Amino acid sequence: MPLLDIHHVSRNFGRVQALRDVTIVLEPGAIGLVGNNGAGKSTLLKVLLGLLKPDAGNGTILDCDIRHNSRALRGRVGYMPEAAAVVSMLKGVEFVTLSGDLYGMPHGDARRRAHEVLNYVGLGELRYRRLEEYSAGNLQRLKLAAALVHDPQLLLLDEPTNGLDPAGRMAMLRLIEDLIAETGKSVILCTHLLSDVEQLCEQLVVLHRGTVVQSGPMAVLRAQTANRYEIGWDGDSAAMLAALKARGHVVIAQPEENRAVVTTRNGWEVRDFFLLARAAGATITHLRPEEEDLEQLFFRVTSASNSETVTQSN
Amino acid sequence: MGIDVAHYHGWQGELESPWWSCLALVRVAILQVLRRRVYWFVLALGMLNFLIFWSIIYATTQLPIPPEARGELLDRFAFSTQPDIAKDSGYVKFMEGQSLIVMILLAFSGSLLVGADFRTRALPFYLSRRIDRAHYIVGKLLAVSSLIALLTSLPALLLFVEYGMFTSSFDYWIDNWEIAVSILSYGLVLCVVLSIWIVTLSAYLQTIAPIAITWSCLFVLLSGMANAIRRTTDNRYWELLDPWRDIRYVGRLIFGGFEREMDRELAIWAAWIVGGICVACLALLVRRVRAVDVVE
Repeated sequence: MPLLDIHHVSRNFGRVQALRDVTIVLEPGAIGLVGNNGAGKSTLLKVLLGLLKPDAGNGTILDCDIRHNSRALRGRVGYMPEAAAVVSMLKGVEFVTLSGDLYGMPHGDARRRAHEVLNYVGLGELRYRRLEEYSAGNLQRLKLAAALVHDPQLLLLDEPTNGLDPAGRMAMLRLIEDLIAETGKSVILCTHLLSDVEQLCEQLVVLHRGTVVQSGPMAVLRAQTANRYEIGWDGDSAAMLAALKARGHVVIAQPEENRAVVTTRNGWEVRDFFLLARAAGATITHLRPEEEDLEQLFFRVTSASNSETVTQSN
Repeated sequence: MGIDVAHYHGWQGELESPWWSCLALVRVAILQVLRRRVYWFVLALGMLNFLIFWSIIYATTQLPIPPEARGELLDRFAFSTQPDIAKDSGYVKFMEGQSLIVMILLAFSGSLLVGADFRTRALPFYLSRRIDRAHYIVGKLLAVSSLIALLTSLPALLLFVEYGMFTSSFDYWIDNWEIAVSILSYGLVLCVVLSIWIVTLSAYLQTIAPIAITWSCLFVLLSGMANAIRRTTDNRYWELLDPWRDIRYVGRLIFGGFEREMDRELAIWAAWIVGGICVACLALLVRRVRAVDVVE
């Protein structure tokens, strides 16, 4: 059963089209939801939580209908908002207890559980401090504890490392990583920090101007560029390049350095480079698959989406 | 055996109805107010007024003072322990007196209890739990109402109980049970009306200064205007411009006692005005309480 299965979801705010025909099917696990500011990430999270009814489309999360069963859904989902969202004059443990109360936990359970999750996120010592005295990093941990208090199956984390210094960011990421590894909970991490997603997530959704431009397992998305290689050789450069082009590959050559970036045709295997080089009277000295990191992937898919938009408008 | 704090532990239990969460909002609101010293000052003012009335009852019932002096004392504080001709008792006067302190308390607490949720963008926190905006609004109204009740109907009931206790029998409570009902009813009107008004105002204005200024304008400026226009035009309907007087008229409508028929007519109009404003405020409040900020 997929974790999330939504089809053709659209949502407008007046003239602003925040989500356009969003269709996503994702399996349980750690999911990165990335996009530029204003791409519609937070709106999508709120639609997923049932806080916003979609203008069109429908879907389910954890088998709960996002249109008609949002309260039951929120009982199974923990949401960590992006904003500070603190209730002034409260102490840490009271804030997390309030969160449990608002989820509908019996008050005694909520209070006991607040102590447990605060210990788990590393705020055991600070639980009796007022929220105003928490640092940004500890406040993020506190919000995570408030989202965890009712033991949800799915966590929606909206910019969990926003505003943190590098050490705080690493600590937060480690905590989320441990949480995923220890509990097996599914997490949707909504952020514009691609390195956070790269570190934590196995699946990716890229939103751009309210539309999903890419979604699926990270490995599959990266494999879309698995047929690019950087090669170097000793020997006749012209003959080597001619041989590569003759096989129908796309070659970006640097002939004076005996190097090239080659995008191979389907069915081409690595050992074929060596056979081709021997036939051209050259010797392969360097061969490396060109890996695309998340940043490159993100810019590739968003710029492709931009050019499609331009083409359509023309 | 202690809890292993290094590892995550699950929780298995049944979630309750979200209406119970309203009580959590009330509990937290009272905690927030009691943790600010300035509110203790306001609450102490309310307590002072209560103690004065408490002492009057004690003095007039327990101390050996002549009946004339007793009557004079009660008159000085406009207090009577019995419903008078207009079915108006001293308890109601006490509540009206307390209302000034309630106004001050609400002017300051609206920002803390409601405005802060909008300023710190805490609404997504609340509404992403299992409560909807109806629960949030009811919770906040109950929170403010509990503060109002703490200063008005609750001490008034205590005074009623005190007087009955000093009579050494249940007769006073039995003979004057309408007073207790009146106190509760008037208290309910104060709670409902004032909580709706201040929560709506705080949801829109958010910070303490604009809320306090607008709140004062509502109850001081409009009152002054109403009196001035009424004196100039000699038309009593202008009294209805004063929201505070409107609430008092509604209270008296509940107590059922008017010295003049004109007062009854004004009270009915006041009820319509107060009710209309409440409905408008609720509509504005529902529109305001949303989990989403639109960013273009």
